Amino acid sequence: MKKYSQTSSVIEDFSKLPFWQKYAVVDLIYVGYGLLIVALVLLSYILGMFNWLPHDPQQINMDMLMAPPATADYLLGTDFMGRDILSRLIMGIQAYFLPGLLAISISLSGGILLGVVAGYRGGTIETIITYFTNLVDSFPRLVLILLVIAAFKPDIYYIMVVMGITGVPAVATAIANKIRFLAQKNFIEAAIALGLRTRVIIVKHILWYNCRALLIIQATLGMGEAILLETSLSYLGFGVQEPEPSWGNMVQSGANYFLQGNFWPSTAPALAILFTILGFNLLGDGLNNILEDKRDK
Amino acid sequence: MLMPPKEIILNIIKELFIVMLLLLGVSFVVFGILYAAPGDQFSVLLEGQLPTAQARQEIREAMGGAQGWYGQYFSWLLNVLSGNFGTSVRTGLPVAGELLTVSLNTLYLTLGSMLVTLLVAVPIALYSSVRGHSVAISWPLTMLGYVISALPVFWLGYIAIYISIHGFDFFPLASMSRTPGENDWLYTLVPVLVLGLGSGTISEVIRNLREEMSRVMAEDYVRTARAKGASVWRHAFKEGLLLPVTQIIAAKIPFILGGAVIVEQVFNWPGMGRMAWQAAQDRDFPVIMGIVLVAAAFVRLGSLIQHIVCTAVNPQGARD
Repeated sequence: MKKYSQTSSVIEDFSKLPFWQKYAVVDLIYVGYGLLIVALVLLSYILGMFNWLPHDPQQINMDMLMAPPATADYLLGTDFMGRDILSRLIMGIQAYFLPGLLAISISLSGGILLGVVAGYRGGTIETIITYFTNLVDSFPRLVLILLVIAAFKPDIYYIMVVMGITGVPAVATAIANKIRFLAQKNFIEAAIALGLRTRVIIVKHILWYNCRALLIIQATLGMGEAILLETSLSYLGFGVQEPEPSWGNMVQSGANYFLQGNFWPSTAPALAILFTILGFNLLGDGLNNILEDKRDK
Repeated sequence: MLMPPKEIILNIIKELFIVMLLLLGVSFVVFGILYAAPGDQFSVLLEGQLPTAQARQEIREAMGGAQGWYGQYFSWLLNVLSGNFGTSVRTGLPVAGELLTVSLNTLYLTLGSMLVTLLVAVPIALYSSVRGHSVAISWPLTMLGYVISALPVFWLGYIAIYISIHGFDFFPLASMSRTPGENDWLYTLVPVLVLGLGSGTISEVIRNLREEMSRVMAEDYVRTARAKGASVWRHAFKEGLLLPVTQIIAAKIPFILGGAVIVEQVFNWPGMGRMAWQAAQDRDFPVIMGIVLVAAAFVRLGSLIQHIVCTAVNPQGARD
């Protein structure tokens, strides 16, 4: 009895701690930086949506070619056509934000469905789902997207549907593993013994109580991948076309000047890609360490 | 306890069968996508020629287009199985021959870059798992891994080109199409390095390997080996290094092939990725179909090898 009370008091002490002492500092820094990036992306998306920009992103200014950063009136300088880089960076978020959300929602809803069926039912249907996930994983994502582009048209929404479908296996596997883990701990057996209906067990006890953290993590990592993919495709010339700005085509169009030694027009969007993807990845991994690993141990 | 090799062989045959089944599924998906595409391969082929609908219909029938989807699928599949991938719409050359050349180029690029990834990642992972989780050492390395995997690989490519032009005075572009001469390997080294560092796999390899290695180091049998003075390294090698490395490499092949598309574009490398890019622009169906099939075959081959390594290291697992 004493042993039990000791354990519970330890847990109580832990839960009374302020959150910055509960978790590793590194993880909190990761999450903090990630949230900052998410907030910046959201803010920039709204600014771009209403066109509240310092300059018109397509306004060519021949007197101000390749201005360095921190030039008066042009905070991040101008590119090789004198267009304001800051405005173009903000506007470039329009290229991936909504398509990225679409891809994530497809991955999550497909992954939840398949993962729950595979983990909860098992048997033949699990074999079929494993076959499906292996099949999807057989395609290099970018190559499959090039196939879809060749078959249909280089439309970002088609691309993101493919991206969403190729993201299904990761989510499905994570959820199925989680359900197996819960089953191993007799969690599901206990819920059934309590007389709960299957729907309640799956939706409330499995998905809401035990998988929401996992789903948030998958969503953040998915957004990072969507940005990587969109920038890669617009770099390859299949995404947003000039003069419309997108981070990928900004890097690409600045390339010739880069090799001549004018690094900035190509480097600014590359750094934007770097810091944003870094933010989403760190947020995902930090949340994973805080919400998932600690609890399972 | 040694298992009779018969069971291992059966297990591998079963895995081979699954690979065949998956590749069949891949071919079906590829065909399905192109079948659903607006305007079939014939309309691409006939664009601007043969003005009347009657003439088009006749050509279509002559080329075997009027059999319904299953007829088309099976005749296409039989052709592919016998090594006939059709002819490129753009160049008019048979796809199979070109595919062989470019896939060898891509294989060279991807295998080389995997080697680079491992050469960087394995020492870091081993060092930080053996030295324990000292924050001062492992944190900068982890951070570096994160930054490298978030770097857009095309920009890294430009930096590499710039450095090699201005620092080493050579031009790493169009490397493979040059006439062969001395120092050829130097030209191909830059794209390989860029893909190896920039494909984003390094941080995952490090993280995965470090976790596995730390787990194995804490196992009882390693402790016993250490206690009796046997080589810890020999006991931990298979489970702590060989298995995780093959596993993560097999899982990352699709990702590396995707990165190869971009690196080939940056460096003008005549590989599968560049060919796929060209084919996507021209809507060159036979070419892009062939590339997707070969790429999927690479991926499945990788996981087959991983399975064999797994079975060889742990024959017990083959029973399940």
